[in-house]
Amino acid sequence: MEEVFILAIESSCDETSCAIVKNGKEVISNVVLSQIDIHTNFGGVVPEIASRNHVRNITIVIEECLNKANMKMEDITAIAVTYGPGLIGSLLIGLEAAKTLSFIYNKPLVPVHHIAGHIYANNLEKEMQYPVLALVISGGHTELVYLKEEYSFEVLGGTLDDAVGECYDKVARVIDVGYPGGPIIDKMATLGKPNYKLPLPLNDDSYNFSFSGLKSAVINLAHNEKQRGNSINKEDLSFAFQDVVSNILTKKTQKAIQNLNVKNFVIAGGVAANSGIRKKLQEMCEKEGVEFTFPKIEYCTDNAAMIGAAGYFAYKKGDTSSLDINAKSTVELS
Amino acid sequence: MRILYLDTSSSFLYSALIDNNVLLDEIKEELNQNLSTQALFKIEEMFHKNNILPNSIEKIIVVNGPGSFTGVRIGITIAKTYAWCLNIPVIAISSLEAMAVSSKSKVDFKVPIIDARRNYVYSSIFDSNYNSILKGQYIKLDALKVAVKSLGDNFIFVSNDDFEFPHEKYDPDILKIVKIFSSRECVNPHLLDANYLKLTEAEEKQSDN
Repeated sequence: MEEVFILAIESSCDETSCAIVKNGKEVISNVVLSQIDIHTNFGGVVPEIASRNHVRNITIVIEECLNKANMKMEDITAIAVTYGPGLIGSLLIGLEAAKTLSFIYNKPLVPVHHIAGHIYANNLEKEMQYPVLALVISGGHTELVYLKEEYSFEVLGGTLDDAVGECYDKVARVIDVGYPGGPIIDKMATLGKPNYKLPLPLNDDSYNFSFSGLKSAVINLAHNEKQRGNSINKEDLSFAFQDVVSNILTKKTQKAIQNLNVKNFVIAGGVAANSGIRKKLQEMCEKEGVEFTFPKIEYCTDNAAMIGAAGYFAYKKGDTSSLDINAKSTVELS
Repeated sequence: MRILYLDTSSSFLYSALIDNNVLLDEIKEELNQNLSTQALFKIEEMFHKNNILPNSIEKIIVVNGPGSFTGVRIGITIAKTYAWCLNIPVIAISSLEAMAVSSKSKVDFKVPIIDARRNYVYSSIFDSNYNSILKGQYIKLDALKVAVKSLGDNFIFVSNDDFEFPHEKYDPDILKIVKIFSSRECVNPHLLDANYLKLTEAEEKQSDN
């Protein structure tokens, strides 16, 4: 195939983003407009407010993306867009904008699953070597996904309750260290010592995860220490928490690597930025002789560049849609 | 001048193609939950049927609310993306204006009314020149009833929703709407926004505190 330029739009939560990606691996431009300041006032993302702001931002973000790339819509091969999962009202804005672009310029419309996007953020780093095993860890997802070949997805397992990132935020609240919990606990853990013991959550033979019990264990531990009149050593508790989280993620990932034919292991999602988790996974991959890839921080969190990368492979496969495609708040990756 | 009219602010899709003051084609269809999937799909069909290319549109008139929040956003997102792409003028009108103008009743005052649930409505009162003498607002139905009392019998409610009192069923006269509003001031597509007439619940709670 000749040069394929995908213009991608992502609006599944509170970031309005547009990117242009060449041949699924080279980011020409990537513009992300975050609403975090607005939602911080409400203690979390308010869906209706997010939708209202996407409407205000959408054309500005698309224009800036084209300007930065010094390209015109006519130069674009196809339009990729996140259709789910995510906040339905938010998804709809990106989707309607993408449909309108597809209609006006008569360009193929390529719907992309948000998690496929996160996984393909790795292709922006280095071309993935199949078969690929992907661990998607973020505030909303914890999934092990197997890609036997290019753009084919088999979900091996996922969280039965809280996502990893969600658990980090909750634990950060319990020990009162601020928001977002992930980076703070990650940093504190490096200063901590192994003084507390926490259970390894859902330590079974499946590829599933469970973090709500671990969260309760942290709450109980903090509570008991308080009752005894002891103050919590936040660094030590961060260490203990991060230790069990990274151990269980590594253990189940290792099992998948041993049981399946895996050439390349990749991590994706906001929590992929966590240094403690990353380090343990890297050591395991070295031991197993599997190539380990992780995306740049800017492509770990929600962005349209990753949708553009995934969109290229979807387009190559012929995964295009007519204008009646719907946004989906929940949808399996397949 | 070729104009695209677009209103997705209710459970209906109202859209039309107007060429030099002639109505080429129109869509008036109740889509309910399918509005998000069907709106642009149906519009594309209308273009194909009439052999019209998307880039031949020279102006867009879009309804910016009030009404269904999601519905309004669909129309506004299509309109602003469209107008920005082709660098053509876009005009925003309110759903209440469109309803008042479309009324066929021979009374001086038109009172469009949209159910906003919990005994609230979006409404406005228009005189015979379509000037709003009560500006569009989110108002308790009882309060609106008090407001219209002063009009005597010389008014009609216009609505698409079910109300127990007499009202004219809203059937948009798109050609008339376009003729009346097509010379209105245009909006920069980037700044084109929905007119919800109502804060989000989270914002309401915050301002209560």
